[in-house]
Amino acid sequence: MKSLIQRLRGVERDIVQTPPEGGDAPYYEAQGGEAELFEAAYRKRLPVMLKGPTGCGKTRFLEYMAWKLKRPLVTVACHEDLTAADLVGRFLLEGEQTVWQDGPLTRAVKAGAICYLDEIVEARTDTTVVIHPLTDHRRQLTLEKKGVEIDAHEDFMLVISYNPGYQTVLKDLKPSTKQRFVAIAFDYPAEDVERRILANEVPDLAPDLVQKLVAVGRRARVLKDHGLEEGTSTRALVYAGQLLSAGLAPLDACRAALVVPATDDPELAEALMEILAAHFPQ
Amino acid sequence: MDDPDLTPALRRELAELEAISFVAHRDAGAALAALTEYGEAAALAWLRAARTLFEHDRDAGKAYIRGSAEVAEAAGELLPWVERMLRFAQWRGSWRAVEGAMEHLAPAYRLLGRAGALAWLDLGLLWCGRGLEAGAAYFAQPVATLMGPSGDVTALRALLAPAEALYGERRLPLAIYLAGAPRARDLLGADALAVWARRGADVLQAGRLRGEAYFRLESEESRDVLLQHLPGYRLPEHRRVLGLVLAAWLGEAYELRVSEWSPEQGRPFVETDGAALYVPAAMAQREEAWLAVLHAAGHLRFDGCERGAIDELHRRADLAQPSLDADRRVTWRPLFAPYGADMVRFQLIFDLCEDHRIDAALARVIPNYLPRLLAAARAANVPEGPAGAYFRAAAQGLEALAQGGGGMLAVLAQSSATLVDAWALAQELYDEGSFPPMTLAQRAAAYLPWRGPNAARAVYPRARSGARAEDAVDASQPQPAEPSSAGRKDRPEAGDERELDTLAEQTAGSGGRVGAGVPQPARFAARVRAAAVGVQGLPYAEWDYRESAYKARWAWVQERTLSERDETGAQACLARHAPVLARLKRALQAQQPRRPAPRRRQWEGDELDLDAALEFIAERKAGLAPKPAVYRQRRLLQRDASVLLLADLSTSIMQPAAAGGRVVDSLRAAMLLFAESLEAVGDPYALCGFASKYRDGVSFYTLKDFDQPLTADVRAQLGGLSGRLATRMGAALRHAVTRFDGRCARQLLLIVSDGRPADYDDGGDERYLMEDTRMAVKEAVDAGVHPFCLTLDAGGTDYLPRVFGPGHYLVLDRIEALPQKLPEIYLRLRR
Repeated sequence: MKSLIQRLRGVERDIVQTPPEGGDAPYYEAQGGEAELFEAAYRKRLPVMLKGPTGCGKTRFLEYMAWKLKRPLVTVACHEDLTAADLVGRFLLEGEQTVWQDGPLTRAVKAGAICYLDEIVEARTDTTVVIHPLTDHRRQLTLEKKGVEIDAHEDFMLVISYNPGYQTVLKDLKPSTKQRFVAIAFDYPAEDVERRILANEVPDLAPDLVQKLVAVGRRARVLKDHGLEEGTSTRALVYAGQLLSAGLAPLDACRAALVVPATDDPELAEALMEILAAHFPQ
Repeated sequence: MDDPDLTPALRRELAELEAISFVAHRDAGAALAALTEYGEAAALAWLRAARTLFEHDRDAGKAYIRGSAEVAEAAGELLPWVERMLRFAQWRGSWRAVEGAMEHLAPAYRLLGRAGALAWLDLGLLWCGRGLEAGAAYFAQPVATLMGPSGDVTALRALLAPAEALYGERRLPLAIYLAGAPRARDLLGADALAVWARRGADVLQAGRLRGEAYFRLESEESRDVLLQHLPGYRLPEHRRVLGLVLAAWLGEAYELRVSEWSPEQGRPFVETDGAALYVPAAMAQREEAWLAVLHAAGHLRFDGCERGAIDELHRRADLAQPSLDADRRVTWRPLFAPYGADMVRFQLIFDLCEDHRIDAALARVIPNYLPRLLAAARAANVPEGPAGAYFRAAAQGLEALAQGGGGMLAVLAQSSATLVDAWALAQELYDEGSFPPMTLAQRAAAYLPWRGPNAARAVYPRARSGARAEDAVDASQPQPAEPSSAGRKDRPEAGDERELDTLAEQTAGSGGRVGAGVPQPARFAARVRAAAVGVQGLPYAEWDYRESAYKARWAWVQERTLSERDETGAQACLARHAPVLARLKRALQAQQPRRPAPRRRQWEGDELDLDAALEFIAERKAGLAPKPAVYRQRRLLQRDASVLLLADLSTSIMQPAAAGGRVVDSLRAAMLLFAESLEAVGDPYALCGFASKYRDGVSFYTLKDFDQPLTADVRAQLGGLSGRLATRMGAALRHAVTRFDGRCARQLLLIVSDGRPADYDDGGDERYLMEDTRMAVKEAVDAGVHPFCLTLDAGGTDYLPRVFGPGHYLVLDRIEALPQKLPEIYLRLRR
């Protein structure tokens, strides 16, 4: 079945896709009761907010839950120029006519998908106005330009993610928006969980290297408040592991995956390299 | 006296000498006996030289004759040096130089060989030619000192090169230079010696006594220059990295301070006082320095100064309680006192045990620590003498640890071992008596390269770090009776705060007021000093509301610089606010002054915004009435703004804040974050402060001007910010306006204050300076500068609208929020 999914890679697909029946579950290692919480929220169709630092598994969790709940997942990565029209839809010219084209959110609302707005704070503020009626008892989407309201499909669910580190002076969710969501807090996984993740993501990595990488990551996270803007993410550790398994020397792999992307501060980089050198003696 | 072996020529010469002096004749005769073996011609030349020198100067001749036998023996020849000695006869009064030369010539031959000794002599003669004083000073120095440890002539040339250059340029006396130069050369190497000497020449020109002290290596300046140029790994430059690495490994941030160590004290050690780490200015090797810092931090992290353990040691020693010094630090001395004269031996054994415990604990946390220790221990030379026994025992302990245990120190490698266990084992080992006695002078050599005396400083007892420890620490250990953080609390500066606590009073609404009392008309006439001589600075007019007129040249502003610096404070402050700063910076990056992205959906512009245009047409066709904002502007966003932050540095900022700490702590943090944020934005900015005492004493401090970079020194000034005097805001405002250069279209003057304007001479008339400030604000606006006031004075709403105008001020109710708010407010304002 995995081959089927793989064949689908690089192929044009509709964004609203029900996970294939009986397919392999996306790999996800539970950190706590987040799956149960999510399922409970889904049963009651409550909107969910995922909080947590980058690279700790929010998106992967959602892929996993979508598969488990057998709902299509529509992911919208929010950016600075994302307007409400990009979410909801717009009129397009077609020949002499104008045609309304639904945006991803509208399509998810109609199809009863899980709509995942990643890094919602990055989007323009008018987007939050659009999602408000979807998040309370109304469960409605208003298409202002078309002058219609859509009652959401009964299986529709809205999920947003929100990185507290990204919470900026100028960009922050309004409290009125925040309090409409049920929140699940994510953090970097516990040591043994992280080891399992690494071993699973990079199957041919030697166990002692897995153990060392995880130890390095946990040390580096201590430096977060000392100038490192984000802690070393599990994703970065996976990348380092993949470089290692591709045959790179440990120090080079870790420098490329863990140090250089994380900081421009030469002293901080030196400190990180010192930690690496301790774990991977040359 | 007549020696039958002598040739007639020699006899003749000797007889002539006798005619001059009996003593010379007698001594020369005695010396000749040993000199004739170098041949008659040589002996004759020697004798003639003796006569010449003696005739020239009796003392010179005597020194020459008496020293010759030894020199000849060392040299194995006569002519080359005799010929050179003869040259001294060309200078009047050269006897002191001759004496020195004869005294040190034999050692020179022995040390340097023939060529070296003659080169030494030639160099000395060269200096004699420049002045006998210099020559005498040169020859007064033992050859070994001049040569330094390397013992060859190149070292001597290197030593003299700066002196020659400076003699040529500024007539630097060699005698003064040589007082400390050999030591400086030995410590610094030849390259830095020139820097040291040049600086010394400057100092000498400024004042002779100061200069002499400098060259004797006795002055503070000299020590500073030495420390700055010491070869090796300079720890103070790497404090931040070291701090980061310590934080990563040990999970705690430790303050690293520079210790008072200077090279003449011998081997440098990293020490701790239970609160901070003290690093020397330099250590020979990077590896050694890093291990030493890790090791010293290990003492803090693994309870080497823990209160409970120290109490227990005192109990065992039958001491009622630890003796505290004036700073409430525990001194170790009473614990070692029972060992009397043998104290050094016990101290070393104890250090051996405790250091082993610490290293074992660190090795459990840091994966490559033990291998690095072993490599360093193996690379080091085992000292000779009794120190070697301690050194070897320590190294063997580590080797045993690496092989998985065993040895006499094994018990200390367990994670449950404590300071008390180390002490107990040390006592056992001491009683066994297998370690040799030691003297204090030998002690330094007995330590492994990264270790040092643990009892070097009295310590602030620490709370147990067991709760945070990753290693299992025995939970049954008695918990410290004192609350945690006791060690910190006891520090003297905290004591100041306690005193301030008793003065706690409601300051809201009157912050900055100093001229307390019943309001009365301002006493301008009383302050005639302003018009008197000695007035400095720039005069500004001041507005008198009662007269509805300006008082010309009334308030005098002096530009001053702040002398306090606190670099570690600034760093600690930035570390504390790192999360806030990170958030700010990210927000700021989106606000770079020249955003290259074109503006979309504009009402007018150079080209069409395709998305907007399509939308517009589509919506029109669909029967809607869309707004025709379909253009894109290629013009870059010009949001050029410059800002001058003017901080009120009056006494009131030293008041305690409601949420703990003092107002000034928040102000420091706010200004630091502001500076860092503005660096990220790229707008030109300046940081200034002001305080005043009377109308002729308004101090204006420029911490950072517009075109100055944000240096470590600026940060240190911000870290050391403190309050003084009063708040004559109007004059400071007028002066600040002059600092803008009109380079940017929008000029913002951001004032951070904690109270209304006041000064000592306002007679309690609150309105006077307030009205003046209002006028100053008006003047600023006329000059194209927009003032905005941010105040910590909760009563600010009463007067700020009148002074700054509505919307041009902000009252901050929570002082703790200032660091975050200040940059935010700026961003809001510059949009």
